[in-house]
Amino acid sequence: MSTDSLLEFARGPLFRLSFAVLVLGLIRILFLDLWGILKAYGKTSDKRMPWQLIRSRSFEWVLPVKRMFRNRHIYSIVSFLFHIGLIAVPIFLFAHINLWKQSVGISWPALPYSWALGLALTTIVLGVAMLISRMVLKPIHLLSKGQDYFWLVLLLIPFTTGFICANLNISAGLYQFLMLVHVLAGDLIFLLIPFSKIAHCVLTPLSQVVGTIGWKFPAGADEAISRITYSDAVEPKPEKG
Amino acid sequence: MRTSVITPEERKKAFTSPKKAEVIQKQRLNVRYHVEDFDVSDRPRRFLEAFAAILKHSNYRMVLDHFIRMTGRCSRCAVACHVYQATGDEKDIPCYRSGLLLDVYRRHFTLGGMMRGRVSGHGYLTDEKIQEMADSFWNCTACRRCALECPLGLDHGLITHLGRYILSEIGIVPRALVVSTRAQLEGPFKNTSAIPVPALKDTLEFLEDEMLEEKSVKIKFPTDADGSDYVFFAAVSDYLMEAESLMGIAAVFTATGDKWTIGTGYFDGINYGLFYSDRVLEKVVKKVDTETRRLNGKNILIGECGHASRTAKQFIPAYCGGDKALPVLNILEYTHKAWKQGKIKLNPDVVTEKVAYHDPCNYARNRWIVNQPREVLKSFCRNYVEMTPTGEDNVCCGGGGGTVSIDEIRPYRTTVGGKLKADQIRKSGCEILVAPCANCKKQLRELVEDQGLNCRVVGFHDLIYKAIVFDDSLKVPKDDAGKEMK
Repeated sequence: MSTDSLLEFARGPLFRLSFAVLVLGLIRILFLDLWGILKAYGKTSDKRMPWQLIRSRSFEWVLPVKRMFRNRHIYSIVSFLFHIGLIAVPIFLFAHINLWKQSVGISWPALPYSWALGLALTTIVLGVAMLISRMVLKPIHLLSKGQDYFWLVLLLIPFTTGFICANLNISAGLYQFLMLVHVLAGDLIFLLIPFSKIAHCVLTPLSQVVGTIGWKFPAGADEAISRITYSDAVEPKPEKG
Repeated sequence: MRTSVITPEERKKAFTSPKKAEVIQKQRLNVRYHVEDFDVSDRPRRFLEAFAAILKHSNYRMVLDHFIRMTGRCSRCAVACHVYQATGDEKDIPCYRSGLLLDVYRRHFTLGGMMRGRVSGHGYLTDEKIQEMADSFWNCTACRRCALECPLGLDHGLITHLGRYILSEIGIVPRALVVSTRAQLEGPFKNTSAIPVPALKDTLEFLEDEMLEEKSVKIKFPTDADGSDYVFFAAVSDYLMEAESLMGIAAVFTATGDKWTIGTGYFDGINYGLFYSDRVLEKVVKKVDTETRRLNGKNILIGECGHASRTAKQFIPAYCGGDKALPVLNILEYTHKAWKQGKIKLNPDVVTEKVAYHDPCNYARNRWIVNQPREVLKSFCRNYVEMTPTGEDNVCCGGGGGTVSIDEIRPYRTTVGGKLKADQIRKSGCEILVAPCANCKKQLRELVEDQGLNCRVVGFHDLIYKAIVFDDSLKVPKDDAGKEMK
């Protein structure tokens, strides 16, 4: 199979498959989370919900302007800009919108080229900085698992390859190869998002609701659990003999 | 606010175990708090059984599923944790602490985790992991400050709560808390401090006499009054240690004229269930409800105690009737309302020292009681100063989550847990620190002593008692006051 036909496959059927997995997978995980929330809500007798608090705490992080400058300023700004780049560049890049237009006939306004270029470069630089900080900085290094490094590397691949292909004068062969890597990495990202921590892209807005209902304990746990576990901590020990 | 990491000497002082080596060996558990002897055989299996039972009869599965689908491990919560700030130990980062339990959940209670575990043969729960959890979950003071700092909105305090709950089901729980709970649920006096009713009545009478002498006003502590507007539950230790707070509360009721009462059937607001077991939590909450209904009270009123207030406010509706549950309010809310209505007059010339207000986490974290006490304090304390950060973002006193009741870990509490708070107090330069919570008061007094701080810790109503001014119509002539006392 030539690089050309592979590329066609990667941005044709494989892209459609991974995009479908992304959408359906995110719907599935959102549904599972919501189902858990509703079931839990049904189990508790306390139906009050502090919506104002939930709303304000959720928005604080969905648009973290207020929180960003309170602690860890550099990390906050790096992480915030990184997220903006990650979301904006793939969606609002002219070349990407063009592909959608050609295949399904829909389009939307694109970022000016210079903006897209700057944002992509920023994302790459910040991504590398975050990767290095995970490897070097003590507290975050201890917390990090394989998945955390893997995702940063995986996310950087399409950005780097896309940036090179769009801006550097390279041979046609190399261009084709890098474009193939670019598209395949993109497909892989879409395929994996619903099954990884990146699912936070749809689940984060539910966190405050989960936390609130999580603290509403259903009644009757004592009777139900004491039948299964025996605990010295709650009841006095039975006399022997 | 950042703090410096503790010195090696402080570390040694904080982490030296007060327990004998043979006890640690016998219990196969190296933690600093005392634990009653428990069955050490087959601990991992029993831990998992308890975990499974709890998952079946609770809402924790929903929480854990949500957490494992999205934990980002970004370490941002580290800056919010007063324990990590003091130790600098990565294992004290809230996200790491939660990760201990989330790993167990992932490995043993999710399909993917079980399959991966079977294939790799790794990750099965071990005694060492239980030991790490038993240590870690009690290093945390469950103040939930980290929840505000998590970009994904995860509440690590809830995971600490669950971890302690599961551990308690296999017998790993601080002895100090269990002994008190046993006295409360099964003891002859039905309260955590084992105060008999006659002793309670004696104390109240003594306080009434004191107040008559000091204020020349007949201020009463009504007991068992049927049909009162408010049935009052203090942290029971207040009857032994916080006379001035109680006198301030009684004085407020005398000024407002509302009907309130203390039930002698049950009068303890303390609920250690919040710290280690939902089963205990429910039993104790129900006792509060039963006593209020026995006296045909209209409202449940909780004294100056953070966790007692939060448990009643949050769990009376959950366990005692949902929408039909009795209303719960904290005494600070009551006093603030009465002050706003002009029913309480406070003399602005009595408290002249520099006063600061400490937010108990259980009041402030969910923005429940933040501004009310400040408004009142600022109205009569001329020299009021604010600590930063404050309000919902306040710093824990270092004795939250029940740890203040564990006397054997005092060196840990006052060098690690309370370090950030001590720095904050020092910086504010306050001479009087108002802490309207029984737990915070005890911890802060120990902190002041151990860290050599130059301030006095009092309750909110201690100052109210000092400054309250009564109408002349309420005054008893001095001669009559003498007779009354006889």
